[in-house]
Amino acid sequence: MSPSRIVFAVSVGFGFAFLILPLAIVLPLAFNDSTFLNYPMSGVSLRWFDVVLNQPPWLFAMANSFKVAVGAMALSVVTGGLAAMGVMASGRVAALVLSALFVSPLVVPSVVLGVAMFFIFARFGLSGGHLSLILAHSVLGAPLVFLSAMTSLKGLNPELDRAGASMGASRLFRFRTIILPLTAPGFLIGAMFAFITSFDEVVVALFLSSPQSLTLPIALFSGLRDQLEPTLVVVALMLSMISALFLLVVARLQKATEQKA
Amino acid sequence: MAQLEISSIDKFYGATQALFDVSLTVRKGEFVTLLGPSGSGKTTLLKILAGFESVSAGRITLNGRDVTALAPERRNFGLVFQGYALFPHMTVFDNVAYPLRVRRIPRDEIAQRVAEMLDLVQLSRFAQRKPAALSGGQQQRVALARALVFRPDLLLLDEPMSALDKKLRGDLQEQLRDIHRSLGTTFINVTHDQEEAMHMSDTIAIMNHGRIEQAGSAFALYRHPGSRFVAEFVGKSNFLGGRADHSGNQPVFVTGSARIPLAGPGLPPDGTILMIRPEDVVLNPPDAQTNLVRLPAKVLSSTYSGDRALYTLAAEGLPPLLAYGHAREGLHDNGGAVTVGLSGDGAVLLSEGV
Repeated sequence: MSPSRIVFAVSVGFGFAFLILPLAIVLPLAFNDSTFLNYPMSGVSLRWFDVVLNQPPWLFAMANSFKVAVGAMALSVVTGGLAAMGVMASGRVAALVLSALFVSPLVVPSVVLGVAMFFIFARFGLSGGHLSLILAHSVLGAPLVFLSAMTSLKGLNPELDRAGASMGASRLFRFRTIILPLTAPGFLIGAMFAFITSFDEVVVALFLSSPQSLTLPIALFSGLRDQLEPTLVVVALMLSMISALFLLVVARLQKATEQKA
Repeated sequence: MAQLEISSIDKFYGATQALFDVSLTVRKGEFVTLLGPSGSGKTTLLKILAGFESVSAGRITLNGRDVTALAPERRNFGLVFQGYALFPHMTVFDNVAYPLRVRRIPRDEIAQRVAEMLDLVQLSRFAQRKPAALSGGQQQRVALARALVFRPDLLLLDEPMSALDKKLRGDLQEQLRDIHRSLGTTFINVTHDQEEAMHMSDTIAIMNHGRIEQAGSAFALYRHPGSRFVAEFVGKSNFLGGRADHSGNQPVFVTGSARIPLAGPGLPPDGTILMIRPEDVVLNPPDAQTNLVRLPAKVLSSTYSGDRALYTLAAEGLPPLLAYGHAREGLHDNGGAVTVGLSGDGAVLLSEGV
């Protein structure tokens, strides 16, 4: 075996052991017949799926999470996307400073963000509602859209925009007909990541969610504390499936645009 | 009537000056080429004309209207980019239709004008293809069609042939000249390829170190270069250092031990360099020919191109000389002895440092 193949095998092996194996061990427990999270499984059943889909708080939390994630995604795409386009249009020094600024929410500990948001929203009378969660999560999601949109925009041949200008197209028309269609995958991938980030965000939501805006990760978290049941694994399984679905969509998108170009 | 007037343009990038007092008048329908080595400022000048760069001083007027500070999208200038800059997500048809859609022209008129333009560049068959499915030469023609379809006041071409192979370049030069003739649009072309410039242009502006060294027809630049740089850049040439001597009744140019008779009424009285084109150097001149100096020389090397041969010759006291000779009866061997005839006929006297 050549050295590169050995490196490949080892890294794939580690990735498998750390990322896939724990899931492969835990996830089958969603189908466990017993009330406990342990092997050997006493029997195969879908009774915990029934519980999740019919008993509070799961469906309510899922709907909340979905609303918040969609809102946060939309807001992230607008702010992160505009930030990326603004940075592309600025001079070198300004672009550097602005990039650092727009990415900074990623490096601020989420506990700090959570506390800060909690006080600010309390002052404006927004605490506990969906809006506060959407705003907070868009702060976390916008940098992801920003980074992924930046990558797409940087990969775009700047002459295409100039060509559009030389033919008389206004900035907005050029954006709609040239830049957006060619960089849409970057914006979409950023949007997906913003959605997923919001969908499984715990720390900030701990500070901001109330019983009316209980999100799925918070419901999971309290479930872990209060009663360790296979329902948790069922929810985890569903979350993983959603993420996997999103990744699949992202991969398809990339392939489709590659063929288009 | 002057259509485009470029007056005294200076361009600074920080402390470095890229253009020095550049002025040029372009008539309506003229084919002008900005020719120069890389870093000569020709691309900077083109970008300024397109509106992508600002000027530090000077102004540009089009039919008397000041366009110096006009945004690119408001100039109505067509532009063919070096890398073509075709929109990869659109078909050839949509690429060419783009400037018409920008102008909100009705659908059926768009279809008709795009079809006409694709016909002109002989790409009608490829209307529904994506640019990636076309060859370099075809992409170049799409770019040309797209830049012309909206009937611009001016077409700017940024080294349009540089990415193509030599054969294709020749074909496209011819096509471009035909298109220019049939549309009557003013063309401004940028290139570093002197052959391309000479084949296509009405006027060539030679640029060097941010200045226009000389502007004129290909003939004027070749036969009457104003500086050594121009003579060197346009065609091949021999440069002989020396001085003009007007003491006798026949003015001569003294170089090494040779005294070259100067004829030609257009010669300036003074100069330290005599420029002689290789076709003006006479190989084995017939005895009847007078008014030239005969020197024994040796053939150093030769390049045969079918219609003629270019010899490099060594003559006593002179730098290696380039001379064209016909090659109907064969070539002179390397190392062979020949007689070389030098005269002031067609030669140009230049001053050092101009």
